[in-house]
This record gives sequence, C-alpha cells and structure tokens, in this order.
Amino acid sequence: MRGLRLALALLALAAGLVNLALIVRAGDAPPRSHIYLVIVIVGVSWSFVAAGLVAWRRRPDNHTGALMVAVGLAYALPGLRLVQTPLGFTLYLLVATLPSAVLAHLLAVFPDGRATTRLQRVFIVANYATTVPLAFVQLLLVDPARLRCPECPNDLLGTGGQHPYGDAVMVVSDLWDVVLAGLLLWIVVSRWRRAPAARRRGLAPVVQVAVVLLVLFSVRQALRAVLSPPPLWLDGALDLAVLTTLMLWPLAFLAGLARSRLDRSAVGDLAIELEQAPSPDRLQQALARALHDPTVQLAYWLPDQQAFVDEAARPVELPPAGGGRSVTFLRHDGDTVAALIHDAALDDEPELVQAVAATARLTIENQRLQAEVRAQLEEVRASRARIVQFGDAERRRVERNLHDGAQQRLVNLSLALGIARSQVPATADGELAAALDEAARELRLALAELRELARGIHPVILSEAGLGPALASLAERSPIPATVAAAPGGRLPARVEETAYYVASEALANAAKHAHATAVSISARRCDGGLVVEVGDDGVGGADPNGSGLRGLADRVAALDGHLRVDSPTGRGTRITAELPCGS
Amino acid sequence: MRPTLLIVDDHAGFRALARRLLGSGGFEVVGEAADGRAGVAAARELRPDVVLLDIQLPDIDGFEVLARLRDGPVGPAVVLTSTRDRADYGERVDHSGASGFIPKAELSGAAVLAVIGSGRMG
Repeated sequence: MRGLRLALALLALAAGLVNLALIVRAGDAPPRSHIYLVIVIVGVSWSFVAAGLVAWRRRPDNHTGALMVAVGLAYALPGLRLVQTPLGFTLYLLVATLPSAVLAHLLAVFPDGRATTRLQRVFIVANYATTVPLAFVQLLLVDPARLRCPECPNDLLGTGGQHPYGDAVMVVSDLWDVVLAGLLLWIVVSRWRRAPAARRRGLAPVVQVAVVLLVLFSVRQALRAVLSPPPLWLDGALDLAVLTTLMLWPLAFLAGLARSRLDRSAVGDLAIELEQAPSPDRLQQALARALHDPTVQLAYWLPDQQAFVDEAARPVELPPAGGGRSVTFLRHDGDTVAALIHDAALDDEPELVQAVAATARLTIENQRLQAEVRAQLEEVRASRARIVQFGDAERRRVERNLHDGAQQRLVNLSLALGIARSQVPATADGELAAALDEAARELRLALAELRELARGIHPVILSEAGLGPALASLAERSPIPATVAAAPGGRLPARVEETAYYVASEALANAAKHAHATAVSISARRCDGGLVVEVGDDGVGGADPNGSGLRGLADRVAALDGHLRVDSPTGRGTRITAELPCGS
Repeated sequence: MRPTLLIVDDHAGFRALARRLLGSGGFEVVGEAADGRAGVAAARELRPDVVLLDIQLPDIDGFEVLARLRDGPVGPAVVLTSTRDRADYGERVDHSGASGFIPKAELSGAAVLAVIGSGRMG
C-alpha cells in the first residue's frame, strides 16, 4: 500500500512537471490565458493528490482518499492541450470531461467514500455514462473553435466543425452539466443536513467550498449554453474562478482534519477542567464540549448490579449497534468502568474519543464509585425505613393481641369475681368476702399494669385520635409536670406521628429518670411540609447523645430522613429537637 | 319498671357475664349484638332505654354506631365501654354524645345507673 501511494505521488509530481515543461516549451505560442489555466490546473492536481494521500493513509478502508488521488491525476491530463499537434489535441478532447466526472463522483460520496442513497448511486452512474461519451461526440461533431480554443490546431479527424448539429450538441452538453451540478448540490447539501452535529464540524469547510464551486460551475456552463459562446474574457475569468475554488477544496479538507487535531488538543482543556473535581453534570458537559457532541451520555458500570447506571443511579440501556449511537467502553485493568454513549459520527475519530476517555478516566472512575455508593446508600436507606415500619406494625399487632386476648380474659375474670362477690350473703363469714375483695383489687392492679405495658408497646390513642391527643395523654400520665405547648391539628402520616410520639415519650422518660427535671414542655409544629418536635426540660443537662436511648431515637428519626438534635449543656436543662419531613 | 338494656360486644364471654351482672344489678337485658351493624339494627328494633356499647368492634367501631343511632329515630342512652382506658381515646369519648364511659373491668349495674343518671342531669 505504501509503495503504491509513493508511486502515485511520484506520478502526480511527474505529470505536473510535464505540464509545466510544456508551458516553457510552448513559449508564447498558446494564448496566455491557457498558461495561467495550466498553472492553476497543476496546483489543483497536486493539492488533490497530496490531500488524497493523507486521507488514504488515515483511513485505508475509506475510498475517499483514493478517489481524491484519482481526481488529482485526472486534472493533470488537460495539459495535453498545450501539445500543439493534432494528436495531442485529439487526446485532450477525448479526456477533457474525465476530470470533472471523477470530481463529481468524489463530491457525491464524500466523506463516506461510497454511495449511501439511491439518488447518489443513480447520479454517479448517470454522470459517468453521459459526460465521458460526450467527449467523443464533441470530437466528431464540434468545431474546435467552439471549444473555447480558437487558436488550437485541428484534431486528427479533421471533421469537426463541419457538422450542422455541432452547436446544438454543445448547448445540450452545457445544459446537462448545469442539471448534473444542481443534482450534486442537492446531494451535498442534504448530506450536510442529515449529518449529526458531531460530524458537521469536520465537514463544514469542505461543504462550503463545494457549494461555491458548484454554483460557479453552474453559472459558467449556463452562460456557455445561453451566450454560445460567451466572450472569451468572461469565460476565462469564470474558468479561473472555478479552478481556483477547486484548488481550495483539498485545503478545506485538510483544514477539517486540522480541526479534529485541534479538538484533540482541546483534551488539554478537559484535563484542566477535571482538575476541579466537577460534579457528574459538569463532567458530562465537559465531555460533550471536548467531543463536540452535545448528546454524549456517561453510564457507570455497577459490578454489584451488573448494570449501567447514570449519575443518579438510574439504570441506563446501551443503544443497539447500528442505530446512529455508538458506545465506547472505558476500561481500567481490564475491568469495564463506564461507557460513553455518543453519536456514531465520532466513530470516525476514535483517537479523539480515546484521548478524551483516557483523560477523564480517573474522574469517571471516581464518579462511578460515588454512583455505586449512592445506589448502596439508597438501598440501605430504604431497608432502614422498611425495618422501622415493620417494627411499628409488629408493635401494633402485639398490642392488639394483648387487648383481644389476655386483657379481655382478665376483664371477664374481674366481672366473674364481681358476680361471685354479689352472691355472698351479707350474713356469711366475712373471710370469703374479704378474700374476694382482695382478689378483685389484685386483678385491678394486674389489669392496670397490663394496660400500661400495652400502651408502652403501642399507644392506641395515637392511631385512634392522632398526635395531638396522644401527646396530651402522654403529658397527663407523666410523673413530672408536663405541658403540651403546641400540637398539630388533624392527622399526619402514621410513621411521622409514631416517630414524633416516640421522640416525646423517650425525652419525657429521660427527663424523669436522669435529668431530675421539675417541668417539661412539649411542642410539635408543622413546618415546611414537615414536623418539628421539641421537648425541653429544666433538669441537670449533660445528656449523652450517644446513650442507647437517644441513639435509638436518632436512628428512628434518620429512618424518616429527619434530624435529631440534642442540646444539653450541663446545669441548663436539655432540649431535644427532631425535624421530620412528612415526605410522600 | 326496670330500664331495658342492649349489650353490643364481640366477645360472647363478656356478653354472658355482663348480662348476668346487669340483670342482677337492676336492668332488664333485652338483647345482645356481636358487631356494630347488628347493634344498630337491634337498637332500632328493640328500642332499649340503654345501650352498653363496646368501642372496639369487628366491623364499624363504637363511635360510628353511636353516630348512626343519633341520626336514627330511636334515642337510647349510650354507655361506652372498653378494655382500654377512657384516656386511650383522647377526647373522642367526650365528643361522641355518649352518656359516659365505663372501663370493662369496672362494669356493674350501679356504675351504669350512675353514668346514665349523671348523663341525664348533664
């Protein structure tokens, strides 16, 4: 392949030099305008071959490079017109349409290197099938003087110019060129419009030059058909403009490549941005900027779940192959770390994607670990809430069982004792009545203790009447004087009511047991869609927030995503504050 | 004439004991019902002077039974009862329109008479 490319380069060089040598040899003989044209044509030839070889080396599997070299070599042929012999001129006439035919082929398939739509295929076939044979027809029928070359020698056949249809053939040929150029313009523009944002960037210079070129070409051919022939100065000027624009096309192509190179140097900017440990959002934006693809999405691999997730730990589906989206996997020590989901157009620039991925790998790895931790945290948080809910439901069930079972039986026993007592005649021995009275007293105490136990397990008043009455009842039964300064009216979600109640109940118990308080104040207020429970006492303070009671309370509050604060300076009382979001 | 009384409670053992206790305590027990809806129906049919009404019932609770009785044509005195304390229901007992509340363990003819007596005076 390398040898072939070298040979082609040398061939193009030689052909160009031959052209230039012909100019020198011709001296003043041919019209000056032809000399300029040939110089420009050599420029076109060399620039296409050079750019084509670059493209070929870069993407050997894409035919664009080879096609560009072909265009370059074809443009070395028109120099034949400088060979001032009938043979040279005849050969020139035969190949005169070849360069523009190959060029039209290149523009129609750029940058894929092959036709992708039916229109493109039809165009390429029609282009070759009509323009190349047209050269023969012109050779046979048209006066060389009409071929923009009044001073040219006669061709070998020497028949041209005599035919009556010669002029008509030229007009049809020029108009057909306009039609083909229009079609090609349509193909180029619609390819540009379909191109994804990531690819447009590299395509822009090439497409702009191609549009200018095709418009100039159409104008030239249209003038030739209409004015047949146009003044030489005008035709020569348009010729020069078309060829100069054409010479720019390979340069535009190289500029597009340079832009990609610059993009890769923009990876340096990415590195600087990553220094500041960006948030997942910012990281994604930085990647989008570096890749010039606003649709870039980053997915982190979670080995635990064997799944890709986004920065909020939501699952991400990888796109199927061939759907316009591509996936580049980021690996570390052979393990997949993340996936970059991007526009398939970026597959043309694997170096850029790899450079960006390598630069961002550490940050991405970091983000992945964070995403993993977030997912685990979410799981732990949910399971903690479930455990608390399960515990509460279990306590309600035990309380109900006590109420329906043991308490009911003891109540019945109490009634039966009452009946027995009423059956004892007043005249009977006082001992039986005394024993029954004693039993009834014991039973009342047992029932009272059982009720207290059941209430400790789950306060029925809370589910029956709500937090306000439950707090009031709690304050009433408190061994130290307690007041309810504020309580929310209406009902709150059961888990919020239960947690608020346990906070108040535990704080009251602490105030009585450890703080030696003489007064306690309880308040519960709605606040920002949540509930704030505050219990303050006038005791000795110095409560240990890590004691088992308060620690358990903090865990319960945290299970609702709430916060518990314990403010207990020695000698100045204790204030326990719980902020509970009511949530959904 | 002794005042008539209806017992509404889902525990058969309690109903039997209450019937004996109140029967010998100055009341004529005219009926029993094992759940809230049966209690409402029995009260409308039997038109007792007093309904002894358990708060915890399997279908509708005692407060709901009370509300339905108040909406209906008959207006018996209602005495709420429960294994639990009155305090366990907060102010619901006060706002229910019942004549009073007697913990089950303290049930007796005298206690019921005292409650409906004070209810009438109130």
